[in-house]
Amino acid sequence: MAELKYVGRDVQRNDIVEKASGRIKYMGDRMQGGAAHARLILSPIARGRVVSFDASEAERMPGVLRVFSPKDDPGKRFNSALFLPDQTDLQDHPVFTDKPLFVGDILGAVLAKDEETARAAAAAVKIGFEEEAPLLDMEQAALPQTPSFREGMPQVVEGKIAYGEESLPGDAIILESVVRTQKIHHGAMENHICEARMEYGGVLLVETPCQMAFTVRYVLADLFGIPFNKVRVVKTPVGGAFGGKQEVGIEPHCALMALKTGLPVRLALDRTQTILATRTRAASVGRILIAADREGNLLRREMDVIVDAGAYATGTQRVMMAMGKKTSRLYRIPSQSFRGRTVFTNTTPAGACRGYGSPQIHAITEIAMDLLARKLLLDPAEFRLKNLVHPWDTDPAGGPALGNARIRDCLVRGMEVFRWNERRVIPSGTGRFRRGVGLACCTHGNGYFGSPYPDFMSMAMRFCEDGTVLVNAGLQELGNGTLTTIGQIVAEVLDLPPERVEVSESDTSTTPFDVGCVASRVTYVCGSCALELAEKLKSRFLGQCARVLAVDAHRLSLKNGNVVDSEEGGRRSYGGMVCRIAKELREEAGEYLHYKPEANPASYGVHFAETLTDTLTGTVEVTDYLAVHDVGRAINPRLLRGQIYGGVQMGVGMALSEELVYDSKGRPKSASLSRYTMINAPSMPKVGVLLVEEGEPGGPFGGKSIGEICTVPVAPAIANAVNASLGTMMTELPFTPERILAALSARRETNAR
Amino acid sequence: MIIELTVNGTLRSVEITPSMRLLDMLRNVLGLTSVKEGCSEGECGACTVLLDGKAVTSCTVLAVQARGRSVVTIEGLSSDEALHPIQQAFVDHDAIQCGFCTPGMIMSAYALLKHTPSPTREEIQRGIEGNLCRCTGYLPIIDAIEDAARRMRTHES
Ligand code: FES
Ligand code: FES
Repeated sequence: MAELKYVGRDVQRNDIVEKASGRIKYMGDRMQGGAAHARLILSPIARGRVVSFDASEAERMPGVLRVFSPKDDPGKRFNSALFLPDQTDLQDHPVFTDKPLFVGDILGAVLAKDEETARAAAAAVKIGFEEEAPLLDMEQAALPQTPSFREGMPQVVEGKIAYGEESLPGDAIILESVVRTQKIHHGAMENHICEARMEYGGVLLVETPCQMAFTVRYVLADLFGIPFNKVRVVKTPVGGAFGGKQEVGIEPHCALMALKTGLPVRLALDRTQTILATRTRAASVGRILIAADREGNLLRREMDVIVDAGAYATGTQRVMMAMGKKTSRLYRIPSQSFRGRTVFTNTTPAGACRGYGSPQIHAITEIAMDLLARKLLLDPAEFRLKNLVHPWDTDPAGGPALGNARIRDCLVRGMEVFRWNERRVIPSGTGRFRRGVGLACCTHGNGYFGSPYPDFMSMAMRFCEDGTVLVNAGLQELGNGTLTTIGQIVAEVLDLPPERVEVSESDTSTTPFDVGCVASRVTYVCGSCALELAEKLKSRFLGQCARVLAVDAHRLSLKNGNVVDSEEGGRRSYGGMVCRIAKELREEAGEYLHYKPEANPASYGVHFAETLTDTLTGTVEVTDYLAVHDVGRAINPRLLRGQIYGGVQMGVGMALSEELVYDSKGRPKSASLSRYTMINAPSMPKVGVLLVEEGEPGGPFGGKSIGEICTVPVAPAIANAVNASLGTMMTELPFTPERILAALSARRETNAR
Repeated sequence: MIIELTVNGTLRSVEITPSMRLLDMLRNVLGLTSVKEGCSEGECGACTVLLDGKAVTSCTVLAVQARGRSVVTIEGLSSDEALHPIQQAFVDHDAIQCGFCTPGMIMSAYALLKHTPSPTREEIQRGIEGNLCRCTGYLPIIDAIEDAARRMRTHES
């Protein structure tokens, strides 16, 4: 391949100066232009019924425009993940409910002329409840005898994936374990916010920092019975998303208020409301059985996983199935069964969260793999190497082929750089502080192809009169560099500096359809769409130039902003040619492309962690870290490393500190950042990054996904390091000081006996 | 009530209410929207500004407490043409992803470097321990601040 000019380089992200200067306007920073301010009224109880709703005092407050109560609910239920009518996810979500199902369920709202008034009035609404005992324990929720709180809706939704013989050889070494992963807050620094207004022509305009504008359109049009072309959803700058802004969140509430009053409405949540009333990472309990022969060859694996959807279905059933689908794509296992049960509890709904179930299922499987390695007296790395998939393997469960699966390279090279063999055998010590190393492997996807959800995208691309390029695409920049990456790909093909390429974001009325910046599909799917379209545009443009110049198109090429004629040697600027094409041919130098991916290969990663545990206080410090990833090809290595650092940070939180917990009445104990501990700078380990770039067919310049997978193996890698250093078999995340101390004292007791 | 204070070097008189937070005054009255609200309880640092040269979380300070004092926000660091060396280092090290934490982060870095022109990495980590960033994992931010310190020292000498 000829040397690349922009792909593979550390191109500066497109909006970084605006962000460094503080000039970028997130939705909350924009002039409010006469908008009415809404404040949600959230349920203080975890389960029950509204018996009285007295808004008289609130309504009397000056500046209050209207109070919305459960009576204003449109009656129809929605599902926040649904984007086509044939999707079977349960539609169980009301807008305003009179039967709250968790603390934070949305009962109503106050609309006022300013935020302060709305807040004060919301607090002045007096609501009477008849309380019922909440169902909080997901394992209890999975039992058939447990009464359901879900009026006419199933309490358990099951899914199964299996292949191979069910039987086990009699001499197999078997490990059985139960691993628990916790409920997690996405923690985007920007809280949820949205604006809705009626525009000229009866168009409902909704502006929102979201990840899937077309899903927002689908849900709103369907819920309110509005023609789809009269709903316009525009994506605004996002201050962090991580899946928390993937499903439809507060847009229905905001839109309902705008529709009912005709006023422009701004609905902003504070942190506590964002924690309580939006979405979370689903907690899970995984029962796992792994069987291997004495040499450590895997024979069979059985997984029975309960996934906690919280109070409403949302996209959790998809998350559960996504968990199952990952299990046949990392190791060669002759036979396997996965049973998943999505269950409902009276807690904040779960849904998409960076990794879409992968961090949970990999915590379950990778922690158990280490426990089995211990039983087999094998090095956990060697044990994995015996079993990891090879490039071009198929998925025995029927999923898409794995592609250029380079997990083995990741592990082998990572072991060397991390000095695994040397460090693994260093004794963890007998004193107060115990040092240990651990690792975990993982896989994740590249889009929706091969799943029940269609994956495709369209884009338009055109040269402007000055030779700059406009890419019209329904993308969503989330801070991960989507627009920069797409711009680099286009710049490479059309040979012009990336800053001369402008890539648009979603506006459902003006940009072509796209399913969203989700499912780790942006580089592999959207990037390939951009690449193919840029090539199509290039050939059209060269053809147009040839006609204008009356020469053979083969003589012409694009070089750094100029059309070069190889025979005559002339150089003409893109802009000049665009103008001549317009004048002389009456044509635009533009193209459109419908793109469908025909593969969905796997991305891979191995993370290595070194931890130091204080056996007196139970605190864990991650003292060294190496992340190795099979990325096919790094389009922008610096941005890619940034994804990995951030993914590791979220994973350290999952391993050690982050957890949404509830008291016995279902009241959240961690509904603020002072009680929900995210990793800050002093707790962040140094992270080494090693990339395996062997090229992925079907990806742009060989590239594939990184943004989600980089957070997937973190928690099990750290958990394995801690367990190795303490000789414990902890399987419940996060490893808080309390849990570590409890495990240590349990171990002392067993040893004493 | 009306208070006088210096905001980004300019003397201003501002109409406030007694319960108004400094954050609200800066954002809603003065339109300095770089100052972000992430938690409203002094935990995330998104609202960090300088009050008489010290980094404070403006969500936990009342506007009236700023009377007669000097407030600096990120709008006061750079001119239209040139970024402050800290901002430039953030750009050069890709220390920004979604950008929501950035203004507060840079103000904390500014306060740190003012008092500690040659910080160690540990001092940098502690200097920004009150600023949460969910995107970057902090490592590029720490690199950027280290580099900015170097640039500012050479600039001065
Ligand atoms: S908003 Fe002030 S510290 Fe979070
Ligand atoms: S860059 Fe997104 S929170 Fe820091």
